[in-house]
Formats: sequence, structure tokens, C-alpha cells
Amino acid sequence: MEEMILKLKQEIIEVLNLEDIKPEDIDNDAPLFGEGLGLDSIDALELIVLMEKNYGIKLQDPAKGKEIFKSINVMADYIQKNRTR
Amino acid sequence: MSERSVLITGCGIVSAIGRDCGQVLDSLLRVRTGVGPLKYLKTGHTEFPVGEVKLSDEEMERLMGIALGTPTTRTALMGMIALHEALGNAGLKADDLKECGFVNGTTVGGMDKSEQYYLDFIENDSRNAYIGTHDCGSCSEMIAGRFGRFKMITTISTACSSAANAIEMAADMIRLGEADIVVAGGSECITKFHLNGFNSLMILDHSQCRPFDAERAGLNLGEGAAFVVLEEASHAAARNAKALARLSGYGNACDAFHQTASSPDGEGAYLAMSKALKTAGLKPSDIDYVNAHGTGTPNNDESESQAMMRVFGKDLPPVSSTKGMTGHTTSASGAIETVICILALKNGFLPVNYGFSNPMENGIVPNMDLHKGCKLRHVLCNSFGFGGNDSSLVISAVE
Amino acid sequence: MEMKGLDYVVLNQGNAQLTELYRAHIGDWPKFFKMDTLSKAGFVASELLLKKIGERRCEGDEFIQNRAIVLFGSTASLCADRNYQETIQDKDNYYPSPALFVYTLPNIVTGEIAIRNHWRGETSFYVLEEPDAAQMAFHLACAFQDSVTESILAGWVDSRMNDDFQVFMTIIRKEDAADTERLAGQLQLIINDLNK
Repeated sequence: MEEMILKLKQEIIEVLNLEDIKPEDIDNDAPLFGEGLGLDSIDALELIVLMEKNYGIKLQDPAKGKEIFKSINVMADYIQKNRTR
Repeated sequence: MSERSVLITGCGIVSAIGRDCGQVLDSLLRVRTGVGPLKYLKTGHTEFPVGEVKLSDEEMERLMGIALGTPTTRTALMGMIALHEALGNAGLKADDLKECGFVNGTTVGGMDKSEQYYLDFIENDSRNAYIGTHDCGSCSEMIAGRFGRFKMITTISTACSSAANAIEMAADMIRLGEADIVVAGGSECITKFHLNGFNSLMILDHSQCRPFDAERAGLNLGEGAAFVVLEEASHAAARNAKALARLSGYGNACDAFHQTASSPDGEGAYLAMSKALKTAGLKPSDIDYVNAHGTGTPNNDESESQAMMRVFGKDLPPVSSTKGMTGHTTSASGAIETVICILALKNGFLPVNYGFSNPMENGIVPNMDLHKGCKLRHVLCNSFGFGGNDSSLVISAVE
Repeated sequence: MEMKGLDYVVLNQGNAQLTELYRAHIGDWPKFFKMDTLSKAGFVASELLLKKIGERRCEGDEFIQNRAIVLFGSTASLCADRNYQETIQDKDNYYPSPALFVYTLPNIVTGEIAIRNHWRGETSFYVLEEPDAAQMAFHLACAFQDSVTESILAGWVDSRMNDDFQVFMTIIRKEDAADTERLAGQLQLIINDLNK
């Protein structure tokens, strides 16, 4: 799981162009949206694309993203349980 | 407002609900939608209903008498059909155009042909004539060039408010004394490019769109073109041109909130409407009908509702979005809806908000009855674009 | 009457320069890294210009309604269009990118600048074949025809390739636009600098 979380953080940093942020700056339990990383609705959509592209998870309802992107831990857990690749 | 008054002396339209003013009026009065299964665009994404113009490119080329094999684009062809009607309607001949400006709003431009011939551009040189038809400016030149030499041509690219801003620009030119007559509007065809883009933003409804409805789930893409002839009052009088309506006010403001999303309180929309009323010298209670931007996305309709409630307070006039019938015609929508407003003013009815059934929480309840025979004096037409670019026009009846 | 020339900023030396300038002079707007080249160029040039003239930025709920943004360019969002097209080009690797699609509109750069500065005035993006001082002066004079605009952030911003751009930004006040011909003359001096 540790490895998976690190890989996920690196993927997020890359796909969202978070140039000045390192994996260790992202708290595993902190919310990804709102304060924290300053992500917005377009970033949420990019994370949905990331899950489809890298893990084969197809999310139809953008509202569902809200729950999955609560934190890195929640997201990693969701991917672990639902990944098809 | 300056003394130079801006009249509308001609209009032309092509959209999913008709290929001229007469057909569009008929559809509006019958409350008939033009949104349906995809037919003309070649894409795998057939699951999305769209408001296509019911003509193939070849049919449009024949209508406009364009020689076989001449490079052209769907955006340009639709623009020609609408401009042809607008010029005829205003009684303008090729020779009159040399003192006439042309302002076109488009953002997609010739993307349709670039998609079809992209591989040819890369792999062989068989379709290179279409590289030059790609950009927005060249579409404007093709549309205008079909009818003669205009005094000046310019293109405005501000996403879904492009055509409304083209009309504002034209009115500014007339008020400034730079021109006495300017044709303005917009044209935009559906392409895979932006169908995929809106899909990636998850704002396309998989069924008929439902503006202002509690269950609304996104927009249906549409396409079309419309142009209005704006003319300084004494110039129109001198050539005995009959005014259809008057452009009495307009405003543009930036929401300054997010690249694509509207602010929850609709600040930009509120400022645009307030500015339009101010330039028209009107009070909110003078407005008899609002043609809303009303795309059917959860975000727009909520934000626009808030803005309209702030502008009008308790005296909200009848409001409707006509995008349930035309689809969201993106860059052309400001002009298409301006023509719809003119038809409503001239024929005394209120366009119906097709697709609505259940009121949303804290939202407006749109107009669902034609009220045939009503008398409209001033109507407001909203057009909001990505980038927070919000525009509003006031169109008034002429005595 | 002799008039003071317009304050302006010109940039045209590759993408690396933009990131360097951002890090050296701005640094507090991480959204910069998500922007396409057109927006990056417009954003950095506008920031440097505002710094140069020493304008105070709105804070909190403050906003300015009498400042418009009127930009011009010849290739609109062509560069972003191409980047996005690549995400839908391959049938077997087909993931239209929302973040790239957002920038396939030329006026997003006006929005980005407005968001940063809390400016809620008019915003426009005109497509012109080349930086044409007379045309630009004319469009700017038009923008002062509304009931609120007192000043305009105006400029040329163009990006044909990811690492290639040309931008100038200047502030035009209402009195600068009273004489359209003189304004065109002042813009021409900036354009000469841009083309150097």
C-alpha cells in the first residue's frame, strides 16, 4: 500500500502540474480539494481520467469523485478495490 | 446612451429548428425541438442528442451555389445561409456592403474539416487547401466574401458569448460614428473536438436537456448561425429601411471566478445584466421577457438563477431558455437567441422553456406558456462564456 | 501637447523564460503551471506590467468593474488546440483531457488575468492577422463606449507552438484613447519593439 500511495502521489503531481509540490508534502489524510492543494473542478475531472487511464476505473458520475477524492488514503483504497488493470 | 440610436433592420438564422426566420418562428410557436439523435457529424459518440442543422455540407453548398471542390467549412456554410437571409431582409445589395462592417463570433471555426483531413495533412498533401480554412478569421472572410466586399471584417472569439460580443462591438462602432451599418452575429458547427471536450467536462446530458429543471444533467450541443443588421437610425430612415427592433442596451462583464465554472452568486452575470439595463436607461421592471443563457448544466442554471433574482428581485419577468429546442449553439448562441427575441417581439409571444418539468431548489421557474398575443416592449438576452465572459443585450420594440 | 508614452512589457523569448520570470517575480500563483503557453505568456506579462506601474492588487471581496481586458492575437488558441487534439488522436489511447480542453479557447487568458486581479469589467479577445496598430486602437476606442470602462489592460498575445510566443501588455486609460490616431501611433512603437 505504501508503494501504491507514493506512486499515486507522483501521478497526481504529474497530471495536475503541481510543480512546486513533492510527494512528501501531500498528507495522506488531508482533503485533496478545498484548502490543501488548491485543486478545482477541472483537477477533479483530470483525476477521473487518471483513474481510467492508469487503473481502468470508469467513473460516470462526477459527483461520486467528491467521496473518492476525500484524501490520498481514501483514493488509494478505492483504486485498490476497483482497479481492473 | 449617445444620440446615435442602433436599429436592427434585418436578421437571418439557421439552426436545428429551421433554416430561416419563418421556419424558426413556426417551430417556436409549435414548441418543437430540433434536438435529436446525431446524424451529420461522423463520430462514435452517438449516445448524445444534439441540435444539428438538418442539412449536409453538400446540401448547403448547393443552396449557396458553391462550385464543387471549393474548400469550405460547415461553420462558413451555415454563416453564409444566415447572412444571405439577413442581407436580403435588410434590402442590402453587394454594392451597399462597401460601407458596411462585418463582425463574426466563432471559436470552433473550421475545426470540422481539420478533423476530417487531419491525417491527410500529415500523411499526404491532398487536402492542404483546408489548412487555410481552419482558423476563425478565415471562416469570417469566407462568409463575408460570398456576398461582396465589406468595409471591414473582424472576428471575436470569446467562447459561448462570442456572437453577443460581436453584436456589442458592432453597436459600439455605430455609436462611435465609425460606421452607420454593421452586420454582426456568429456561426458555429458541431465538431468531434468540442463534443469530446464537453464530454470530458462531464456536462453533456445523455437525454433531452432540461434547463432550470431540478433533474437537469447537462447541455445538448447544437449548431447554427445567425446575423443581425445593425443600423444607425437616420441612415435607415434615409434608405427607407424598416426597423424590426432596436438594440437599446448591452453590457459585458467578467465573472473572474474560474476558467469554466460560473460563480455560485452569478456576479458576472449580474453585472452584465445591470450594465445592459443602465445603458438602455431602463429599470428592471421595464423588461417583459428574459431569454436566459440556460444551458441545462447544474452550474450555469443555478448561477444564472441567482443573478436574475438579484437583478429583478420580486418582479421577475417571464424567463425561458430556448436551448431545449435549438441545443447550445455555443459561439453562435448570442445571435441565434437575439433573432429569437426579435421574433418574439414582432409576433407577440413568449418562447417556451422546452424540457422543464420540476422546479429546482432556489432557482427560477421558467415560462412554459406561449402567451400568444402578448405585447412585449423590452426583452433581455443573456449569453455567458467560458473564461467568465458574460454578456447581456436589451432588445426593444420599435413604435 | 506632448503626451507621456505608454507603460508596457514585451516578452518573446521561449517558454523557459516564462517559468524563470514566474519564479523570480511572481511565485504565489501555482495555477501558473497548469496554464497553456498563451495564458502563461499573458499572465506573466500582465503581472510584470502591474508591478512596473506599481498598481495595488484587490484583496478579499474587493473587485474592480471599470478595468476591461482587451487582447488580440492571430492564432487564437491553436497551440492548445493541437495539444488537446493529441489526446483524442489515437483510438487505443483515447482520453480527452479536460485540463487541456479548457485552454482551447483564446479568451481563457483574459479570464485568468481577471481572476488573479478581481477585475470584473469587459473582457474580449479579437483575432487579427497581425499586430495592426490602427485596428487595435479602433477596437480599444470602441471598448470605452460602455457606461463603466475607465482603463483597459490591452495587448497582443500569440502562441503558435508550445515554446514559442509573442506578447505585449500595456494599460490604456480613457484619455489615451480619446484620439484614436495618436493611440495607434503609441501602439505602433510597442509593436516595433515586439518585432525586434
